[in-house]
Amino acid sequence: MLEVKVKKKFGNFMLESSFQAESEILGVLGPSGSGKSLTLRCISGLQTPDEGKIVIDGVTVFDSRNKIDVAPGRRNIGLVFQNYALFPHLTVEKNIGFGLKDFDPKTKERLVSEMVEKVHLNGYENHYPVHLSGGQQQRVALARTLITKPKLLLLDEPFSALDKHIKGLLEQDLIQIIRDSYKGTVLLVTHNAEEAYRLCNRILIFSKGKTIQIDNKEVVINYPTSLDAARITGCKNFLNAELIKEDESFVTLKSEYLLFQAQKPNVVLPAKLTAGIRAHHMQLSSQPVTEINNFSCKIIEFIEGIFSITVYVNCSGHIMQVEVSKENAKQLLEFDREKTFLYIPPERIFLLPQEDN
Amino acid sequence: MADINFFPLFLSLKVAMTATFFSIIVGLPTAYFLSRSDHRAADFVDTVLTLPVVFPPTVLGYYLLVLLGRQSWIGKFLEEQFDIMIVFTPVGAIVAASVVSIPFLIKSARAAFSGIDSDILNAAKLLGRSEINIFFSICIPLAWRGIAAGIIMSFARAFGDFGATLMVAGSIPDQTLTMPIAIYDSMLAGKTELTNKLVMIMTGTAAIFLFLLNRFEKRITKGGR
Repeated sequence: MLEVKVKKKFGNFMLESSFQAESEILGVLGPSGSGKSLTLRCISGLQTPDEGKIVIDGVTVFDSRNKIDVAPGRRNIGLVFQNYALFPHLTVEKNIGFGLKDFDPKTKERLVSEMVEKVHLNGYENHYPVHLSGGQQQRVALARTLITKPKLLLLDEPFSALDKHIKGLLEQDLIQIIRDSYKGTVLLVTHNAEEAYRLCNRILIFSKGKTIQIDNKEVVINYPTSLDAARITGCKNFLNAELIKEDESFVTLKSEYLLFQAQKPNVVLPAKLTAGIRAHHMQLSSQPVTEINNFSCKIIEFIEGIFSITVYVNCSGHIMQVEVSKENAKQLLEFDREKTFLYIPPERIFLLPQEDN
Repeated sequence: MADINFFPLFLSLKVAMTATFFSIIVGLPTAYFLSRSDHRAADFVDTVLTLPVVFPPTVLGYYLLVLLGRQSWIGKFLEEQFDIMIVFTPVGAIVAASVVSIPFLIKSARAAFSGIDSDILNAAKLLGRSEINIFFSICIPLAWRGIAAGIIMSFARAFGDFGATLMVAGSIPDQTLTMPIAIYDSMLAGKTELTNKLVMIMTGTAAIFLFLLNRFEKRITKGGR
C-alpha cells in the first residue's frame, strides 16, 4: 500500500501529487511534462519534495513535517527507468545480481539464475547489455529490481523505447512476469491511454503537475471528471452547452447550434456544461435512425488509419470527429456527403462543468 | 655510455610517477565531485585548478615558492613539525610536477564522469549501493577511457616539466637535477654529444612509457562499449 501527498516547485512548474494505491497495477496516465516521472522520482527518493508525506506499507519514507527523508537505497523501491539504465560494463548476470547484498556467493548465484529463468533470459547470462534487444534489456532491468524484492515497483514509460510492432507482445510478456513474481503495488507510468487501459486495473490521471482523477479504468474512461482528464483519455469532441431541461433520466442541452439530450448523471449539474463525446461512440447514417440526437451534417474529410477511418463532419457549424471501422466506412462512401446524419447516443455523452479557456 | 649519469633519468621517472600517483588520488575524486555538481563553486574550483595550464611555468613556480617556501606559513609548519623541506629538494620537484600535471587528469576525468547517464547512477543508488561503492563499481569503469587518457597526459606533462621544477627544486646535481634540466645544462655547457644522447634517452623512455600506458588502457576497457 502506497500513500503519496507531496508538493514540489520547479521554476514555474508546480507538482501537487496526491493519491493512494493498493496491491494492484495502477496506471499513471498523463501527457509528457505533467509530473508523472517526477512523482516516481519523489517516491523513490531521487528527488526531494518541498513538502508532504510518502508512506509505503505503513512505513513513512518521507515526511517534511517530522523531517523524515529515508535515503533512496534504504527505501527498497524498484524503479525500471525509461531507458532501462543497465550497467553497460556488466554482464546480464552481474546486472541482475547487482542489488543483492549480504548473501554468500552460492545463494547469490542461485537467486540470479532463478531470476534469469523467470525473465526468460537463459543463455544470455554472459552477454553485455549492448548485445541485447530492447525487450531483453527491459527484462534485465525488471529482473535487476525484482530480485531485491522491492516493496513497490515503479515502471517509467516501460514501452516507449520499443518499436511498435513488438510492443504488443512484450507488453503482455512483461505484465505476465510481474503478475507471476510480484505481489506488491505497481505504478505503471504511460502517456498512452490505450496502454494504461490494457495493462492496469485502475488509472490515475496527471495534468499540469496535478493528480486530477483516480478510479477504476472503466470509470475514468467513461466518466472523466474534467476536460483535461477527458482529453488525456483520448476524447476528441467537446460541445459547450447550456442546461435547458431536466427530466427523470434525461437532460436536454442546447449548444450554439444543436439541441440534444444526454443521460442524466447522479450529480447536480451547473447551468453551463461541456459535453464530451468520444469519436468512436457516434454513428453516421444516410437516414435518421431515432427521434432524438440525430443531426444532419456534411462530411468534410476522410482520414484513413490502419484499422479505422476518421471522418470529419460539419454539424450545423460544429466540427466533429467520428471514428468508423473500415467495414462500415465502405457504405459511407455511397452516402450523400452533403446530407448525412450523425447520431450521438445519449448514454455515451458525459457532462462536465464548463471551464474557461 | 659510461660517461652518462643516469641519476636525472631515474629522478625524472620517480618524480613523474609519484606526481601522477598524487594526481590520481587527488584528481579523481575532485573530478567526480565537479562532474556531479552544477553549483557555481564547482566552476570556480575548476578555474583555479586549470590555471596551472595557462600560467607560464615561471609564474607558477614563483607562486609555489611563495606558498611553500621556508618563510611561508605552510613551509614553516612542514619544516618544524615534520622536518620536511620542499624548496630545493626532490619533494619540491614532485610538488611542482603534480601541480602542472593534475589539471590534465581532472579535465579529462571530469568530462568522462559527466558523460555517464545519471540514471545509471540512480539505478545503482536505488539498488542500495553507497556513493563510494558506486564510484568504484560504476563510475571508474564507465569513465575509464577518459581517466586513462588523463593519466597518460598528466604523466607525460609531469615527466617533461622544466620551468616549474627548476623554480621550486632548482638544479642541484644528484639531488634535484631532472632530465629536462640536465639536457638544458649540458647544452649550455656546449656538450653537444652528451646532449644528443640525453635527448635520445628521453625520447625513447617517453615513447616506451606512452606505449605501455596505452596498452594498459586498452586491457582494462571491456564490456563491448
